[in-house]
Amino acid sequence: MNPSLDYRPLYNAFREIISVINSSIRLKDVMDLVVWKYSEVLGARGAIMRLLNIDTDELEISASYGISQAYLAKGPVSLHRTITDACRQKKVILIEDIVNDPRVQYPESAREEGYRFIIDVPLSVADNVVGIIRLFFSEIRRFSEAELDWIIAIAEQCSCALGKARLIDSYEFKYLQLATHAEKLSALGRMAAGIAHEINNPLAGILLYSSNMIKKVPPGEPIEEGLQIIIDETIRCRKIIQGLLDFSKGRDPRKEPTNINEIIDKSIKILENEFHIHRVNLRTHLASDMIDVMADGSQLEQVFVNLLINAVEAVPEGGTVEVISSVGESRTSITIEVKDNGPGIGKKERDKIFEPFFSTKSKGTGLGLAVSYGIIRNHHGEISLQSHPGKGTRFIITIPVSQDTDSGLAGISTQETP
Amino acid sequence: MKILIVDDEYVIRHGCRMILEEQGYTVETTATCGEAIDAVSSNAYDLVLLDLKLPDRDGTELFKAVPRGINGYPRIIVMSGYINLRNNMSAVDQARFDFLPKPFTDEELLAAVEQNTMG
Ligand SMILES: Nc1ncnc2c1ncn2[C@@H]1O[C@H](COP(=O)(O)OP(=O)(O)OP(=O)(O)O)[C@@H](O)[C@H]1O
Ligand SMILES: [Mg+2]
Repeated sequence: MNPSLDYRPLYNAFREIISVINSSIRLKDVMDLVVWKYSEVLGARGAIMRLLNIDTDELEISASYGISQAYLAKGPVSLHRTITDACRQKKVILIEDIVNDPRVQYPESAREEGYRFIIDVPLSVADNVVGIIRLFFSEIRRFSEAELDWIIAIAEQCSCALGKARLIDSYEFKYLQLATHAEKLSALGRMAAGIAHEINNPLAGILLYSSNMIKKVPPGEPIEEGLQIIIDETIRCRKIIQGLLDFSKGRDPRKEPTNINEIIDKSIKILENEFHIHRVNLRTHLASDMIDVMADGSQLEQVFVNLLINAVEAVPEGGTVEVISSVGESRTSITIEVKDNGPGIGKKERDKIFEPFFSTKSKGTGLGLAVSYGIIRNHHGEISLQSHPGKGTRFIITIPVSQDTDSGLAGISTQETP
Repeated sequence: MKILIVDDEYVIRHGCRMILEEQGYTVETTATCGEAIDAVSSNAYDLVLLDLKLPDRDGTELFKAVPRGINGYPRIIVMSGYINLRNNMSAVDQARFDFLPKPFTDEELLAAVEQNTMG
């Protein structure tokens, strides 16, 4: 260590940067301060901070200090040429021969600007290099251990702020996606409920008269057959409308303490034949320590039946469907998973499958998941899905044990892989 | 056995009346909540079949007007899906209601009426 070195400027700049990182919500403030302090404290002519654009794989300027517009306008620099092994090891790179070093992409311009010496400071988040700060000096100079340590320490703080900002961005993005999706579904739900109520009255007239009339015609007459068709088709409409109402807030659940494992067993009983006919294997792993939740058993049964039918329809002959129930760690919620090894659900479809009438099946109504979504929302739960095209699909339902408090946003979330 | 049907749609009033009268019930009908409140205040019914969406007032306003006899009779069949009747209603009062969501068949109507009339 150099005893004559004055540590105060290093210390003060560090403190200043830390306090901005902790108090500022704007990443740009942090970046501007870092390039300025680097230049000032180290006596550089200027500094440029470049961050990686993941889409183009190029480093783009995000902050600069003391650099001419002409030089800044030189454009982005390539990632691969700039990021070397030394960079990956989080070391400061000293470039003394700026004319011949391949890391300097515009050596002539650099010379014209009067730069004779460059140092690169890598920025990394979770071991990935995400950017570089380049400092420009008029002459070659040496750095003390303390100065190098300081340079790295500032870079680490800056990387930290970057990482935090990216994390917040991704959460915000995910939340926004969720919110707009839920908003869209609830608007659809309101519309569906309105239509359903309007249609139920005329349907009631048709069903009342036709079911009464059929008793008054002599059996075997063609008119009897016609009436039977009217009755059957009206009952079919009734089922569709009921589905729409279940998807919207139409039907309040009648909640009572319910053992989900029993409901799962019931649903499986209903579908035993389906599994058998399609030669689909069913595996269950039901929690032995299951606790009761406040729920409408018949509605949840409908949800499991919908998910199981979808799974059976998705897998090929000999495929496997799994049902897993578990109790959350804090024992305030339970989780049910329905997993299949079918073709999975593509990214494009994933946004649509909870909408009423979205179906990719020739005979599908597209109500199964919409209804399930409505029911789970009325239980203040969440239905999410993980699917990896080609490998299968996993629907995950989480239901809070008691539902006194409104959890607000009923959720859907989607993820890439199971 | 006297039944009041409250619905603003003629087809529903007429259809239900026809089916119930064929089975020997005495049936009266009204199209508004106001008329229904008048009717239950001056007549004794064994059962009220009620649509909640009425032109003048919300059908639930009729609940208070229907006199309370023994064992929660006369009963009221609400011709819509299950609704939550938690608003300050005692369990006995809540038990007076049954639900018969539209659309329903004649048999479903008769079964509901039989279940909800005494004796
Ligand atoms: N387990 C699954 N694997 C692959 N795709 C699925 C799965 N579950 C649902 N889907 C897709 O989501 C769509 C919507 O499902 P949903 O249950 O709402 O309607 P449906 O099954 O098509 O018709 P319905 O359930 O009304 O008979 C399906 O058409 C299918 O494309
Ligand atoms: Mg389905």
